[in-house]
Amino acid sequence: MNTAASDPANGEFEPKIVAYVCNWCTYLGADLAGTNRLEYPANVRIIRLPCTGRIDFNLIVKAFEIGADAVLVSGCHPGDCHYTSGNYHARRRWMLFRELLATLGIETERVHFTWISAAEGKKFQQLISEITSTTRDLGPYHAYREICETCEV
Amino acid sequence: MSQIISQPAIRRLVKQWLREGKRVVAPVQIRPDLVSYQPVRSADQFLLDGFIRPLNSIKEVVFPRHEQLFQYRVRGKQIDLLPAPLPDIERIVLAARPCDAAALPILDHVFNWESRDAAYNQRRKLTTVVALACMEHDAHCFCTSLGGGPDDTRGSDALLFDLGDDTLEVRCVTDKGQNLFAGQTESSTRTAPSVPGPERQADLQQVGQQLEQAFERSDWAAWTNRCLGCGACAFGCPACHCFDMVDEGGPTCGARVRNWDACQFGQFTLHASGHNPRSAQSQRQRQRIYHKFHVYPQKFGELLCTGCGNCTRNCPVSLGVLPVLEAMQAEGA
Amino acid sequence: MLQPLRETCRRLLDDGTVQVVIGYGQAMRAVEPYPVFITDPNDVGQLVWNEQCRTNLVKYLLRQEIRALGKPAIVVKGCDERALVVLEQESQIERSEIVVIGVACDGMAEARCEVCDAHQPRFADHTIGHATNKEQSAERRYAHLAEFQERPIADRMDYWKAELERCVKCYACRQSCPLCYCQRCIVEKNRPAVLDTSPTLKGNFAWHIVRAFHLAGRCVGCDQCSRVCPEGIDLRLLNQSMARASEASFGHRSGTDPQAELVLGNFSKQDQEQFIR
Ligand code: SF4
Ligand code: SF4
Ligand code: SF4
Ligand code: SF4
Repeated sequence: MNTAASDPANGEFEPKIVAYVCNWCTYLGADLAGTNRLEYPANVRIIRLPCTGRIDFNLIVKAFEIGADAVLVSGCHPGDCHYTSGNYHARRRWMLFRELLATLGIETERVHFTWISAAEGKKFQQLISEITSTTRDLGPYHAYREICETCEV
Repeated sequence: MSQIISQPAIRRLVKQWLREGKRVVAPVQIRPDLVSYQPVRSADQFLLDGFIRPLNSIKEVVFPRHEQLFQYRVRGKQIDLLPAPLPDIERIVLAARPCDAAALPILDHVFNWESRDAAYNQRRKLTTVVALACMEHDAHCFCTSLGGGPDDTRGSDALLFDLGDDTLEVRCVTDKGQNLFAGQTESSTRTAPSVPGPERQADLQQVGQQLEQAFERSDWAAWTNRCLGCGACAFGCPACHCFDMVDEGGPTCGARVRNWDACQFGQFTLHASGHNPRSAQSQRQRQRIYHKFHVYPQKFGELLCTGCGNCTRNCPVSLGVLPVLEAMQAEGA
Repeated sequence: MLQPLRETCRRLLDDGTVQVVIGYGQAMRAVEPYPVFITDPNDVGQLVWNEQCRTNLVKYLLRQEIRALGKPAIVVKGCDERALVVLEQESQIERSEIVVIGVACDGMAEARCEVCDAHQPRFADHTIGHATNKEQSAERRYAHLAEFQERPIADRMDYWKAELERCVKCYACRQSCPLCYCQRCIVEKNRPAVLDTSPTLKGNFAWHIVRAFHLAGRCVGCDQCSRVCPEGIDLRLLNQSMARASEASFGHRSGTDPQAELVLGNFSKQDQEQFIR
C-alpha cells in the first residue's frame, strides 16, 4: 500500500481501514448499504471471505504490515452462521488473540470486531463512519509500520 | 617493551569512533547469563572483561543474518531492478574472542570461491577486528585441540590482553590494527603472561583421517539421536555460512533477500519433488561434521571450526561438534 | 531417588515392557544434563537425576529417530507431564503405548518452580519419590506477566522490538516445544509463503505472533522455548498471556485435566466478551 496518503505532512490524514467480512452476512450488509445509497467513508477496503471462522489471525497482522491503520473483522450474528458455528469458533479465537496483541503492545483499539447481518446496511454505514473517525483521531499507525521497514545493509 | 592502553582510554576511543559514524560491535551484557556481540550505542555499554564467550558470533558484521540483494519495482509492463548499494559503513569489532576472529579468514575462502561475493568482501574490507585474549574458559571451549588458543592472532588486526587494574596490552597484528591504535597507546615494560588455554579435550588432529572410514557407520544415529534439528548451533557458529535466497514482497514491489540457513533444518535439503536426500537427523549431523572436518579441509586446507564451543553452548540439548567427535572417538572409530 | 529410578528403568527394559527409556544423562556437572536414550538394561547407570534436569523430554516421543527405537518409557516431572496430557487429547500419542515415569521434583532453581503446583506427578505409571503439591493462585502464577502488562502500551512495543530484534529464527524454541509438532510449520510454507522467513523485525513479529497463537490454550508452561532460546528472549510472556486468558475466559488450564475439551476447536454459545459490537 502506498503510505503517502497517510502522511499528515501531505495534508489531512486519511486512515486506511481493512475490513475482513464474511460472505453471507456482513458482505451483504455492506452491499445493502450500497444499494440503499447510504454513504460511508471511502477509507475502507473490503475483503470478502467465506466465514469469520475462516478469517485467519495472520490476516489481521498482514493488514498492519502493509500499512493499515485499523482493521475490522465482521460476520454473522451468533446463531446466524451460514456454516452453523464458524462465528462461535471465531469469537473464542478473537478473545484470546486480543490478549496476545495487547501483550505485544499492539494497539487493540485499532482492531474492531462486529456482527453485522445482511439486513443491517445502516449498521454497516454507521460503523464504518465511526471507525474512520476514531482512527482519524488515533492517527496513522506508525508503531507497526516502523517494524516493517527493511533493515540496514 | 610493550604498548598499553587504559580501559577509560579505550572507551574514549570508542566514543570518538561512534562520533565519526563508525559501527562498533562489542560484547554486551543482555541478561545476567547472556553476553552477546551487539552494535554499541554508547562507550560505557560494552564489556572488556568478566565474560567467557558471547553466545553469538562476529560473523554477522561481515555476513548479516539478513540482507537485500536487490529490490524490484513493477510499473505497468516495466520491471525495474534496483541492486542493493554496497555497504559503506566502517566497522570495528572490539573485544572479539580469538576463536571468533580466527573464523574470518576461514569464511574468506567460501565467499571468494568460484565467484567473489561483492558485499561480503566490501564489509570485510571495512572491518577492523580487535580481539581480546581469553583469561578464562569453560567446559565447552576446545580451541587448543584445533591449533588455536587464547592468544591466537588469526583473523585479528590487533589483540588486547588484560593486565588487570583497568589496563590492557595492545599487540597490533596488521596495518589496520596499527592505524587504529596509532598514537593512542603508551610504552610500558608490562607484558601479559601467556594464558593457558583449555586442556586439549580430544585428539582432533586425527579426526579427518577417522572420517575417511566413518561415513557408512551405523553409529551416527546413536551419537546424534538427541539433536532436535534447529539452527542454534549453526547460527551461533562463527564459521557456519549457509544461506537461503528468497523473494519477499508483493506484486508491485519487493526484494530478493539472503538469509542465514542451517543444515540441521529438515527442509534444508528438501527437493521440490518431496524427496529429501538427508531424511534423517543423523544424516544432517553427519553432514555438519563432514563439512567442517573433512570436506572443507580438503577443499581449502583449513578446518571449518575454531573450537569455540558455541554449538554446544547454544544447543538446547548440549550437542554440537565436540560431543559428537568425542562419541566417535570413544567408539574407536 | 536415582537408585529407584534406575531400578525401575532396568526392570522395564529387562522384562521387555519397553524398548527404550528416554531420560537424562550428564557428562559432568559443568554441563547441563542432556537427553539419553537407553536401550540396554545394563546402561541404566547413565541415567541421572538432579536439580539441573530442567529440559522437558516430551518432544522426543514425537521424533521419528526415537520412535524407531520401539516402545518408550519417559522420565517426566510434574510440569512436563502436562504436555503428555495435551498430546493425548490431540491424538498425537497413544498413552497406552508409553510408560510414564514421573519423578517427584523439589524444584529446578527456576523462577517458575516457586509457583509450581505439580511437584508430584499426577498421571504417571510409575512415580519415584514424594513431594507435596501446593495450590497456587492464578495471581501468583501469572505475576510475571501481570507486572509486564502494567507497562504502558508503547513500552511493551519497545520491549518486544528490542527483544525480537535479536531473534535469529533458529527455531530452537519450536523444535524443543512438545506441542509444536506440525509436519511442516507455517513459517516453512513457501508455495506461497505465508510469513516472511527473514529474521527482520517484521518477519520476527509475524513469527512470534504465529507461534504464540498456535500455542494458545495449549501451552503447558514448561518454559522449554524460553530456556533454549540462544538470544535469551522471554517467550514465556507471550505464552502466559494466552494461558491466562484461556483460564480466565474458559476455565481451561492446559494439560491439567485429561477429560477437558480443547479450548480452540470448541466453543460455547455462552462465551462472554465485551468487545464485539
Ligand atoms: S563448529 Fe562449533 S566449535 Fe566449531 S567453530 Fe562452529 S560453533 Fe565453534
Ligand atoms: S545439535 Fe543442538 S543446536 Fe544443533 S540442530 Fe541439533 S539440537 Fe539444534
Ligand atoms: S529460539 Fe530464540 S532466537 Fe531462536 S527462533 Fe526462537 S525466539 Fe528466535
Ligand atoms: S508455530 Fe504453529 S505451525 Fe509452526 S510448528 Fe508450531 S504450531 Fe505448527
